[in-house]
Amino acid sequence: MQTTDVATVSRARAGDSDAFRLLVEQHSRLVFRVAYRMTGNEHDADDVVQETFLRAFKQLGRFEERANFGTWLHRIAVNCALDLLRSRGRLDRHYGGDPEEAEMMGAISSSDPQQDRLLLSAELRSHVTAAMEKLSGNERTAFVLRHFEGMPVEEIGKTLGIQVNAAKHTIFRAVRKLRESLEPFVRSSTCNI
Amino acid sequence: MQHLTEQELVLHHYHDEDSPAAVAQHLAACDVCRAEYNSIQRVLALVDEIPIPQRADNYGDQVWTRLRWRLGSAGRRRNWRTTLAAAAVLAVAFFAGEWWHAHNVATHPSVMASASPAGPAEATQAAAQNRILFVVVTDHLDSSERMLLQVVNSDSKGGLDLTSERGRAEELVASNRIYRQTAEQHGDDRLASVLSDLEPVLLEIAHSEGRLSPDEAAALQKRIDAKGLLFKVRVVSAQTSGHEAPAARKGMTSL
Repeated sequence: MQTTDVATVSRARAGDSDAFRLLVEQHSRLVFRVAYRMTGNEHDADDVVQETFLRAFKQLGRFEERANFGTWLHRIAVNCALDLLRSRGRLDRHYGGDPEEAEMMGAISSSDPQQDRLLLSAELRSHVTAAMEKLSGNERTAFVLRHFEGMPVEEIGKTLGIQVNAAKHTIFRAVRKLRESLEPFVRSSTCNI
Repeated sequence: MQHLTEQELVLHHYHDEDSPAAVAQHLAACDVCRAEYNSIQRVLALVDEIPIPQRADNYGDQVWTRLRWRLGSAGRRRNWRTTLAAAAVLAVAFFAGEWWHAHNVATHPSVMASASPAGPAEATQAAAQNRILFVVVTDHLDSSERMLLQVVNSDSKGGLDLTSERGRAEELVASNRIYRQTAEQHGDDRLASVLSDLEPVLLEIAHSEGRLSPDEAAALQKRIDAKGLLFKVRVVSAQTSGHEAPAARKGMTSL
């Protein structure tokens, strides 16, 4: 934890709202990033950010000052995002990305080998977004926590309430689906760029 | 040579396999598996391209602005426990003072004679006692008003989420009882009446399952409206806050 965080958290725990404000300002973007990766939706991610700080405020008394505030906040954000996905019934089904639209985008990508590199890059990003949307909520969550957040599989299992092997298998399923969606673009981007 | 499965390669990528050395050794020796592994790595590298929507430079500020009032209610909840305890102590102290005064007047009529009209010391003590009580009652009414406003101003068509308000409502119910009983004991009918009207609404919020259906939310709003509760709370709150001034004015609600 940054030295400034230690002092600021200490002040916030003592009821100093300015100190808590500082923590909100310092950590909002990072919380948004994990929230967005998990929910795949900008507005949901904003809601998760709000809920995360609200919970953090209520639980400040339970925070151990020796711990890392950012890590603690990250865990709260993950739980808030999971709660939101559960409340929307999104954990057990696909995110609802339009498969036809994804296919159309796939067709566009390989049509013009002369297209501008930046355009291709933007297009690839949209393919990645579409591929992520094809994952179920559990797959996306497990994948995001392992791939982007570096969370150990044991902890992912605990977070999702599943066994370690099931967590590993969920991550594998996610990667397999991503490969199915993105492998053609890996080849074409390797050729084109 | 038996090739590695796709799952083993994915586990290897994340260092989650049971025997990494054996997998690494196989990869070094097997072109097919190495090609497959490289393909997985390229796809996952592509996933790193996933765009994160940009947030304004003052995003932290924006989050804080939206969060502030919600934190206010959470903060008030934490502080309210202290306030509630203080209110109970004050009420007990107030009654003890009253009892002591009545007891001394009854057992020592001479005290009554000498104390009537009340001496300056007694008058000052009573005024100070009243001022403290007015402060906590005003605070209680303000908190209740904010809760009523939240209910009244919400769109009942989508139902009403009271999850975050239930705990605070429970505390308000407890303190409301103390103030209502105190007001009744002192013959302050107007304050007692408002607090009496307020209690069932606070109870309903405190005992709700957290989320009211559109019908339940509309019914609660109607009850608040029908009794003119918000207006009454505001009026009494304004009157009690007027009493916080050093000299309590006669003819206004007193406790």
